[in-house]
Amino acid sequence: MGGKVTCTLGEVKNRGDFIIYWGGNPAECHPRHFTKYALMPKSKFLPNGRKDRTVVLVDIRPTKSAKAADIFLQVRPGKDFELITILRAMIKDQKISAEAVAETGVTLEQCTDLVARMKKAKFGCVFFGMGLSMTRGKHMNSAALLTLAAEMNAFTKFVAMPMRGHGNVTGADVVMRWQTGYPFGITFNRGYPRYNPGEFSTVDVLVRGDADAAFIIGADPGATMPQPAIDHLARIPTIVLDPHITHTSKLSRVHITTAVAGISAPGTAYRMDEIPLPLKPALKSPYPTDEEVVRRIKESIAKKPFWMPDGAQMIAAQV
Amino acid sequence: MTLTVVNNATCTFCGCVCDDIELHADDVRIVKAKKACVLGTAWFLNHTAERKYPDALIDGKEATLDEAIEVAATYLHEADMPLVYGMSNTTCEAQRECVALADLLGGLLDSHTSL
Amino acid sequence: MLRITGGKVYDPANGIDGEVRELCVSDGKFVSAVESGRTIDATGMIVFPGGVDVHTHVAGGAINFARAMTPEDHRRTQAFIRSQTRRSGLGGMAPTTFATGYLYAGMGWTTVNEAAVPVLSARHTHEELGDIPIVDKSTLVLMANNEIVLDLLENGEYERAKNIVAWYIWAAKSYGVKAVNPGGVAAWKWGKDAKQLTSSIEGYSKLTPGDIILQLARICDDLGLPHPMHLHCNNLGAPGNISTTLDTLQHLEGHRAHIAHSQYHAYGGDDWDEMRSETAQLAEYFNTHPNITTDAGAVLFGDTVTITADGPWQHLLYKLTGRKWGNLDIENETGCGIVPYTYRPSNLVNAIQWSVGLELLLLIKNPWQVFLSTDHPNGGCFWRYPEIIQLLMCADFRKECLKKLPDKIKQRITLPEIVREYTLYEIATAMSAGPARALGLHQKGNLGVGCDADVVIYEHDDDVARMFGHPRYVIKGGEVVIEEGEIRATPDGREFIIKPHYDPGTEQFLQPLFEDCYTMAFENYPVEMERLENPDIRDCVPNL
Repeated sequence: MGGKVTCTLGEVKNRGDFIIYWGGNPAECHPRHFTKYALMPKSKFLPNGRKDRTVVLVDIRPTKSAKAADIFLQVRPGKDFELITILRAMIKDQKISAEAVAETGVTLEQCTDLVARMKKAKFGCVFFGMGLSMTRGKHMNSAALLTLAAEMNAFTKFVAMPMRGHGNVTGADVVMRWQTGYPFGITFNRGYPRYNPGEFSTVDVLVRGDADAAFIIGADPGATMPQPAIDHLARIPTIVLDPHITHTSKLSRVHITTAVAGISAPGTAYRMDEIPLPLKPALKSPYPTDEEVVRRIKESIAKKPFWMPDGAQMIAAQV
Repeated sequence: MTLTVVNNATCTFCGCVCDDIELHADDVRIVKAKKACVLGTAWFLNHTAERKYPDALIDGKEATLDEAIEVAATYLHEADMPLVYGMSNTTCEAQRECVALADLLGGLLDSHTSL
Repeated sequence: MLRITGGKVYDPANGIDGEVRELCVSDGKFVSAVESGRTIDATGMIVFPGGVDVHTHVAGGAINFARAMTPEDHRRTQAFIRSQTRRSGLGGMAPTTFATGYLYAGMGWTTVNEAAVPVLSARHTHEELGDIPIVDKSTLVLMANNEIVLDLLENGEYERAKNIVAWYIWAAKSYGVKAVNPGGVAAWKWGKDAKQLTSSIEGYSKLTPGDIILQLARICDDLGLPHPMHLHCNNLGAPGNISTTLDTLQHLEGHRAHIAHSQYHAYGGDDWDEMRSETAQLAEYFNTHPNITTDAGAVLFGDTVTITADGPWQHLLYKLTGRKWGNLDIENETGCGIVPYTYRPSNLVNAIQWSVGLELLLLIKNPWQVFLSTDHPNGGCFWRYPEIIQLLMCADFRKECLKKLPDKIKQRITLPEIVREYTLYEIATAMSAGPARALGLHQKGNLGVGCDADVVIYEHDDDVARMFGHPRYVIKGGEVVIEEGEIRATPDGREFIIKPHYDPGTEQFLQPLFEDCYTMAFENYPVEMERLENPDIRDCVPNL
């Protein structure tokens, strides 16, 4: 399987009568998710708002979000994939073993009840957070949950959505896809885009010591990446664009102060459901925007000799 | 002094990207962010338009923007395997320029998503 | 300034059929004479107006979703290598934006119509269109499942619905209206579909798909849109759907319409085992109704990715194939489904589909009514159009291809009996002059004085697919963009938009309805003019 069965947040607001949060803590990380999109809004189809919805939280501990849920299921750490797989079997009435269920930390009764409720829903939506996608199993967990949501459509309307986090990370994904075909982990070292996470992804590249210069924008890897990656950033010429002097700025050769997106810089940002929104700055920054600085650096490089000799414009098939 | 009011401003702190915020600002700071959540309020109120930092630093020393742009361009142009990374806290317009930069350099391009 | 001399000119808009003529260009347009500048000696060559794609999916949330789902194709397909001034790109099933411009221009197409834009994400579509070089573009907004519009139609509030459709077109900075599976996508929000034109739609008490079809066609005509309602009929892809399609055409009651990708709507039989071609019936309707146009939505064998706002159909396709499935329902407005697909000559259904697309192109007599398309990327990628041209121009080649299909197909198709071969004049009509006229883009697909100087020049070649796949020169807006197989320039294209008239009270009426069902601020919803690169507002005069 592959793909993603999803919707925009307004569909959840208008129709979502059964909401699951899996491995996420919106009460603290996406505070208005409940009130603006998923739990509280009243709509044509859910006239009583919260009362017309059932809310389930699946996590390894009862976070603040548990208070907002009708049902809390405490999954044993690292057992998300197993629990999702059991649910996938149960919706199809396939046999499951009691031992397998016991290992997940959730009881068979809880699973049976959850499956019954999922099937009874008119419009189900499962939101998943980093507690699922960044723990043991990583993208395998996300893929399993996306598959569960897709398979639920044999019984009722069901969708899934990742709770994308910080800033405009969704926009980066969207822009890279239309310009290169790929969402991240890209190299242009043959003159056209190629993709291989694990090979071209930043932590791997830095830990191996492959990159010999780094341009960092809208991120502070000096505060978040593993130490060997940070050490390499300090060894090579690193350039930082940021509104603040960051950890990365301090180990960089060049820091340029820029305006803050959405506060003193205009433009566009994408919501977690890939809907673009205009930014409306309230302040006028004494610093230039990221857009302007990157463009000027690019224009300066374009005046220097091009790295690749003239050759074919196109190759008919990559091998 | 009178405050500027921006209606339906967009908050980029988290993936909700709420676009119904009412911002009240003086010349250099936002003093009120109506409808914003606790995280959004902190985001709007903690960023000012003050000149708190130098325009640029080269090897830790203050430099002009023009100098910094030229030095950055030289480092990136001279590298065999330059990396363009991040792009979370920035606009799509800047992201488009970043992809164009990596494309011009024949370099690597990656975002937060790969972490 | 530019002069093109000695070429055999095919310019159906002006009735010119292979006469040697001189073309002169100044400031991007054809003029009667020029005094200086470059001269292209096209002696012995064939001169066409630049191609116009009336129906394609090249920019926005749906194709970008498809790009995310097909990395395995990106890593094997054509790669455009970066130069100092030209961006890199990847071709294939869902090409990147830059490659889209290079591939279209590379085969002589200079105008494309992105046929499915949700207003909610129109900003995204325009961002991508800005990154598609060379070609000019237009867009259509999805309206036949917009719940605010549907509610008004259910209550018989035609005038209000008309004003709101006009408001949406301008909010999206778009060019016209697309209707996809009217009512069916709205029903899909509850996991249902709408296959019967006269049955009420899930969630509505009396509104039927037939009502939506008639009222939207009327709205498009009354607003005076340059392009009529662009309709993707109900019941796409299903055996026996010919009755739905004919029923749909009758529901138009004389209004203009463009029927999208009619290949997917011309099947007989009650199930997949009994499926057969019913193109004769559909072609007969077009042959007797000159106010209706269509594009073929032809199928070519091979890998592709299907993309449509028709969410319920894509769920069925996912169940049939077990392949990846992407679905994106868009609040209040529409849906979107994505499934990678491989058309195989050995598969009876696929073989019938291949035949049906060609049959429609050959049986509809007037090339001003039926246009070249694959519904890119649904029936095949747009950069394979030269293969279709070869199939249309060479009956012997069709016969060779038919031999590779399953034997039992013979009783289910009519292609083997068709001897017609397209002439160059007819190809120029179906790939350029016809679609330009249907889109209401009178300055396109026309080599007359005052029109946009978009020209494609071919060197004669007995291998028709090679000739059309590798033009000697492509000229866009008077600039040579392709020459001898190389990209010479990548100018920005323009975006055609319209501002239909709407009542000034429309926003006040709409805002509370909007706030009930959307999650975006009303004020932030319309796309700002400055977000379009090179917008060109075309006339739109209401029929009062």
